[in-house]
Amino acid sequence: MSAVEEMIKERLKNDIDPREFDKPEFQRDPFPLYKRLRDHHPVYHDRFHNRWVITRYWDVDAVFQNSEAYTRGIYEEEGPYKFGSRHVFGPNILEYGRGDRHRWLRNVIAGQFVGQKLNDFLPVIDMIARELIDKFRKDGEVELVTQFSHQFPIRVISNMLGLPREDENMFVGWYQALIAGLGFGGVHLARGIAARNEMWEYLEPLINQRSKNPGEDLLSRIIAAELDGVKMDMDEIKGFVALLLAAGGDTTDKAIANMMYHMMYTRPDQFDRVKATPDLWENVFTEMMRYDPVVHTQGRRTVNEMALYDEVIPKGALVLIYLGAGNRDERVFKDPDTFDAFRDDLHMGRENRSGRYKDGKPGHLGFGMGQHFCMGYAMARQEAVLACAYFANSLKNIRPKFKEHAGIFSPNIDSGGFRSPAELWLEFDPE
Amino acid sequence: MKLRVDYKKCEKAGECYYNHTVLFERTDNGFPKILVEDLTTDALRHEAREAIEVCPTGAISIEE
Repeated sequence: MSAVEEMIKERLKNDIDPREFDKPEFQRDPFPLYKRLRDHHPVYHDRFHNRWVITRYWDVDAVFQNSEAYTRGIYEEEGPYKFGSRHVFGPNILEYGRGDRHRWLRNVIAGQFVGQKLNDFLPVIDMIARELIDKFRKDGEVELVTQFSHQFPIRVISNMLGLPREDENMFVGWYQALIAGLGFGGVHLARGIAARNEMWEYLEPLINQRSKNPGEDLLSRIIAAELDGVKMDMDEIKGFVALLLAAGGDTTDKAIANMMYHMMYTRPDQFDRVKATPDLWENVFTEMMRYDPVVHTQGRRTVNEMALYDEVIPKGALVLIYLGAGNRDERVFKDPDTFDAFRDDLHMGRENRSGRYKDGKPGHLGFGMGQHFCMGYAMARQEAVLACAYFANSLKNIRPKFKEHAGIFSPNIDSGGFRSPAELWLEFDPE
Repeated sequence: MKLRVDYKKCEKAGECYYNHTVLFERTDNGFPKILVEDLTTDALRHEAREAIEVCPTGAISIEE
């Protein structure tokens, strides 16, 4: 081998083929590639997909925190694009990148999902968990994904919105079509938009009625919210409802399935202790959000050129922040590839948008950080913890039905690319 | 009227500085820094009251 060839070989030793991102192996187990990225390419220019990839914990944190330099917005607020026209939910805050409009729309409802407002809702969350479990209590087995986790958060949120309880089954169907349309184009997008239109048609008379006779529900509050004397228009209200049903429903749905999966298959040795002290489901939630969260990546665009390590990311480039990779950063967490609900190097309590905690420990990145930090973080945690605790304690001797499991993977075509088990069969002693 | 933060109560949630950028700024350790202490206008007082509402630990107050 010539000296030049040897130099090339040495330089390419840790090279990454960008097509690895598209392989089924990556969808099942992305963590080996995440590690190679963290170790050798902390800023990786993926020329094949025309994007830049960030994977180390503190770099992920820095990009999230700097929403002025890395914007979430794709379109100009005053530009020719009509917001919502190409989005499966319709106009919604996910499309507004920054600025007062985003802040305002977010604040209209952010307060509904934390603190006392959330506490007021605990009895409803409890009631819905009970109703669902009562349906299969006598069966001695359950497929958790379809019979419980798909059903639970969507029914909670539709209850908060004050939608008629007898129509909940319709929402369950619509939201799954919306989520499939979110992650994929083609037939999925078409189905998603069809479901949205059906849902919108259903909602319009309800919205008209609530704007005349407002109640205490979340829908009434969204309708009544004003900024400088201006309210949301009909499409924005409908977009907001679609967002809440789909985003609030789907992610929590998958979080519940992931938590139970880990207690059944990853750390069955920790399950007894968790079962005995239901508060420990808070730890299971936190560690799940670190170890393998529902959402692994978020996109941003550079507002200016950014110099990072020995790379320069050009202006207007797509930056993928892999929070799923940052969470496994051995520079931050000891034995990052071990699921441990009792690890002492992770902030276990409720999350902050700032990612800074008084106990001095780093938090998980699973909800994002900063300006676009998950709005429903407290509610998601509360729902998931209550659901799992109730599930584990009201059914006797819960155990996996099958010894082997295909595991958590992504993207499931119906899941919008989020990570969860396709199914999870459990057995218990029937009553 | 003066804007106050009780740093013993503050848990660094960040709701104040992400939502009310006129009044608060994020510092490196996650605590908020007050940018405008004297609430001289209705707009500032309104902003401050909203910040009080979103603070999960009740660390923000207005001193009469």
